[in-house]
Amino acid sequence: MNRATGGTARRMKNKDEDTESVSPQIIHIPEKPPFLPHLQPTVKVHAAVIEPKDANTLVRKLNQIAPLENLRHVKRVQKKCIGEGKLQLCLLLSTVENDGEVDALPYEILELVKSYQLSTYITKVCKYAATSKEEWDEQCKLWPTSYHPPTYNISGITGFTEEESQSVFNFMRHAIDLATSCVGQVVNAAVIVDPSTKQVIASACDGVISSASPANEVSKEGSCSDYPENLNSSNLENQQTSLLDSSIGEFERVISNVACLHPWRWAVQSLSPSCGCWHPLRHAAIVAIEHSSARDRQLFPDYKLNGEDSIKEDCTLSPSKRQKIMDSDFQSNDRSSESVRPYLCTGCDIYLAWEPCAMCAMALVHQRVRRIFFSFPNSNAGALGSVHRLQGERSLNHHYAVFRVVLPEEVLRNKVVDAKIAGCG
Amino acid sequence: MASYEDQTFEFMKLALEQAKDALANLEVPVGCVIVEDGEVVASGRNRTNETRNATRHAEMEAIDFLVEQWQKNGLSPLEVSEKFSNCMLYVTCEPCIMCAAALSYLGIKEAYYGCANDKFGGCGSILSLHTSCSQLPTSGFASSKKGFKCTAGIMASEAVYLLRSFYEQGNPNAPKPHRPLKQRV
Repeated sequence: MNRATGGTARRMKNKDEDTESVSPQIIHIPEKPPFLPHLQPTVKVHAAVIEPKDANTLVRKLNQIAPLENLRHVKRVQKKCIGEGKLQLCLLLSTVENDGEVDALPYEILELVKSYQLSTYITKVCKYAATSKEEWDEQCKLWPTSYHPPTYNISGITGFTEEESQSVFNFMRHAIDLATSCVGQVVNAAVIVDPSTKQVIASACDGVISSASPANEVSKEGSCSDYPENLNSSNLENQQTSLLDSSIGEFERVISNVACLHPWRWAVQSLSPSCGCWHPLRHAAIVAIEHSSARDRQLFPDYKLNGEDSIKEDCTLSPSKRQKIMDSDFQSNDRSSESVRPYLCTGCDIYLAWEPCAMCAMALVHQRVRRIFFSFPNSNAGALGSVHRLQGERSLNHHYAVFRVVLPEEVLRNKVVDAKIAGCG
Repeated sequence: MASYEDQTFEFMKLALEQAKDALANLEVPVGCVIVEDGEVVASGRNRTNETRNATRHAEMEAIDFLVEQWQKNGLSPLEVSEKFSNCMLYVTCEPCIMCAAALSYLGIKEAYYGCANDKFGGCGSILSLHTSCSQLPTSGFASSKKGFKCTAGIMASEAVYLLRSFYEQGNPNAPKPHRPLKQRV
């Protein structure tokens, strides 16, 4: 079962079918927004019909004076068949700026337009490079582009084996169970997992309001390797039933305390506490990161910043060799975890009930999480595809892969969530 | 009384002191102070290496100090929110996306920063989380999406100088070197 490659198509299909029994799915949330092939974003450009004999000279000159910096996938020349075997060539001059006034073209291009007596017009080209053959076919109907099929190795990022999928679903159930473990309210929950050992490193619930943190814990080493399988699911089922029974208005109230959904609302949260520790920024992911670093300090207490012991020895190796050793150590299960201290959450996955907000999503970049799995999208403030899309911000120094996990028992609940979000949009 | 501009520099100097303290402790040298009614009420500097928690940025340190302090004084969330709306942040480097989001959630009044943060900046460089452009209907001041005024370039060269000296001495806690990683992809 390899269900993690698709985009919107499968997801939409799923929505249509969700009255039937739907198998759990892992849906990859890509780095750029998914578009239906015929609805790809476009940009306006200046173009002109040219004489075929001038094509080479003009393309060369234009590539020098006005290279297509942000449209590298777009071809400079479009060939059109205009009947009776006659070809017409159109040349892309530059992108349109300043309301498309031809006079606003750069001076050098204006000179070319004059000397070759070109009559310019405005047309559209696709803004982003095609990521599939289908997208490319549609793009070329507007203006020809180039298409490079992805060559990177996607194993370990997408492509889940049956066993991996089951493990993902179990950890997600665990996260949702935590999120719904308080009576009468739902919060966000985060579970950080080392996938190489299937061990829960840390888990936490929102701690924005004091009463909402029943399950915050640092896992004790070795005690939870089979934790998700042993979960008592009755809690989840009870919540499920009560959520489904409740009206949409009721549901809205129930999830109004999910911190990442309403990060600006902390001061007027419905369960305003007078006691205990509340904190406007203690979202589940932030607290889970805090727990995982506490665990790190606890497991490797003697680690020195200046790197005495093992780090110093390693430094005599070449960086690439050191890299390989650290990787293999980290991945092998039979070694005791004491042998190598992982850097932050490198190699770890995090499971969240709701798509994280910008603060949490960026915190997970900082902490170098490898993959993020969430169940419910967050159209209010989500930063992994809904409002922002941090996995597509190329300037960041670390990138994780993002997946939405749809569990079958939540299909109905998804509907309620969708209805709720649509209702306030 | 010192002019508005003098005051801005005075506060940024204090933030730079914090950054220097970070550098002396082998941390990425970024520091900040939070000012309420013209008085410094909190300061912070990076503690990511010490805590092994990469989210412990200067801003988070200062914010946590304030929340704890105000909570100890028995303030309610609403009162804390009101206090934050009077606060100004002076930080040596543009807040990252995480910190910019946090500052917006808290609803601080204004932020002044030194150098831009081309890789992670959340106040103009990568995202602009300080501008409030909410399309969602919001109810009531305390729960609505908030922006804050942002002023860049205050003593930026001093901030850059500190960062440069840090990266020249080498981040002892940096992950594995980047180059082999790229080769493996």
